[in-house]
Amino acid sequence: MSGRKSAGNAAKRIVKDALFAAIALVIFVVEAQIPPLVPIPGVKLGLANIVTVWVLMRVGAKDAFGVMLTRVVIGGIFSGRIVFSLAGGLFSFLAVLILKRFITDRQIFVAGVVGAIFHNAGQLAAAVVIYRSPSVLVYAPVLVLSAVATGLLTGLTAQFLAQRLRVPGE
Amino acid sequence: MIKTRTWIIIIAVIAAVAAAAAIAVRFFLPAGTTAEIVKDGKVLYRIDLDRVTEEYKIEIGDEDGDRNTVTVRPGMIAVTAADCPDKICVAAGWASGERPYPIVCMPHRLTVRITSGDAGADAEAR
Amino acid sequence: MDTYMSVRTYGTDAGDQVKAEAARLETLFSVTDKDSEISALNRDGEVKASADTLKLVGESLRISRATGGALDVTVYPAVRAWGFTTGENRVPSKEELAKITEKIGYEGVRIEKGTIRIPKGAGVDLGAVAKGYLSDRAAAILKENGVSSALIDLGGNIGALGSRPDGSPWRIAVRDPAGDGSVGTVEASDLFVVTSGGYERYFNDASGRRIWHIIDPATASPADSGLLSATVVGKSGTTADGLSTAVFVMGEERAVGLWRETRDFEMILVTSGGEIVITDGLKDAFTREEDSGYTLRIVS
Repeated sequence: MSGRKSAGNAAKRIVKDALFAAIALVIFVVEAQIPPLVPIPGVKLGLANIVTVWVLMRVGAKDAFGVMLTRVVIGGIFSGRIVFSLAGGLFSFLAVLILKRFITDRQIFVAGVVGAIFHNAGQLAAAVVIYRSPSVLVYAPVLVLSAVATGLLTGLTAQFLAQRLRVPGE
Repeated sequence: MIKTRTWIIIIAVIAAVAAAAAIAVRFFLPAGTTAEIVKDGKVLYRIDLDRVTEEYKIEIGDEDGDRNTVTVRPGMIAVTAADCPDKICVAAGWASGERPYPIVCMPHRLTVRITSGDAGADAEAR
Repeated sequence: MDTYMSVRTYGTDAGDQVKAEAARLETLFSVTDKDSEISALNRDGEVKASADTLKLVGESLRISRATGGALDVTVYPAVRAWGFTTGENRVPSKEELAKITEKIGYEGVRIEKGTIRIPKGAGVDLGAVAKGYLSDRAAAILKENGVSSALIDLGGNIGALGSRPDGSPWRIAVRDPAGDGSVGTVEASDLFVVTSGGYERYFNDASGRRIWHIIDPATASPADSGLLSATVVGKSGTTADGLSTAVFVMGEERAVGLWRETRDFEMILVTSGGEIVITDGLKDAFTREEDSGYTLRIVS
């Protein structure tokens, strides 16, 4: 009896996570259509992270990791060069995972900021290694600033949604 | 638990430090007038922008078919055409002694940067 | 024709035409392309060739005669035997090398009424002169387009058309065969600068000896003349390219002897004894790199 039930739960979980991943992907692709705000590689709104942060805070770490990974890999088909998104995604995921213990539901916006900062840090680190040109580090301060700004935006949005939305079947 | 107000202060401090760093970087960037065109980690060209009298272009291609066009004008340099997907390098505009930010074309592993080094040779026979 | 190609032009898009020409010549000369004229020549022993191929082969033979066979485009069987074409490096036996030496010989190449013929068993590879030929073609195309100042860089084969925008000569560094920097810089206007060196392609044999891809046609083995690199500065890209290979094979003494006869080119030799030897025509144009660790000697 319990075997049937947990199989059902596992299936539900996969469906939910797939749904989250799909939403993240759509946001990602739509955002990619917007021309880059600033001609510095890596500065983007990172709106898709709203989903990742929300899932991490509301559902669980494993689910969030899966959503992030899926979005990065499939998103890579559209934008190429998966390495950067992956580095950024991993860095930010780990950072927010550790941060989770230290923030309450009313402080989810902090996760947005931290996630964005570490996402850009990961991308920048990957860029330095791959392009063998430490010149790109020049952009670090600007990337941190933009991460704070966009992170606040995505973090506050995730927080708002976390307080209003309920996961189906919770 | 950390108070929300504390978090806000922390974030504000980070932002302030980053802003200060951004300004500092501007001052400390090796702002000379020598442009370097670097492909795959190798310096292809060093150009003394001060000694340029008329505009010229440099086509950089490689065996993968990647193409970038660099245009050099007196005192400035830019990537004016590229067949990479995002063309961030083209949107970056003109780099110069006053605006010494590096121009990067990531997919093509090309960097155009301003340094204070000696212009040196135009090419290397090897 | 390997690696990258970059062409600096002024106000025109002649760069595209040069790229197109490079592709066209590749289809004629490439030994790896089965449909090229050279491949047909190697396969059938003869080929009715187009103007460019005839011109390049003819010019190679002229350089062969002038250098006593130090440049020899029929050295291909030896290049193959040492594994440089397949990447499977090996050391051929003495018997094998003796047999291969018999197949080498530019004298056996005949050009008659637009057809090139080679003896049975021979193989032609224009690799030592093809880039030089392309650089000549590139300079011609640029001139046709009204370009009076350009720097052509074909994977290290340099063509300096005119002078730099500010009127000063183009500055071309010469690679240090033993390291990452340069041995010096040569100033040039309307000249071609080509370097041949063992450091470009080589492998190490069982005893750690370096085996490079520049083969001495007389021995069918890597050239061993005491030079680490040879740079030729001349008015023709094809000649500079061919001569740089020949000089590397000939070594200092024979090369200086040739230079004294004609004095229609200049050279920069880097010897295994730690010297940079330059011909006196370059005495004002060449600037030795301070930290390179080589001593400079001028021959006249």
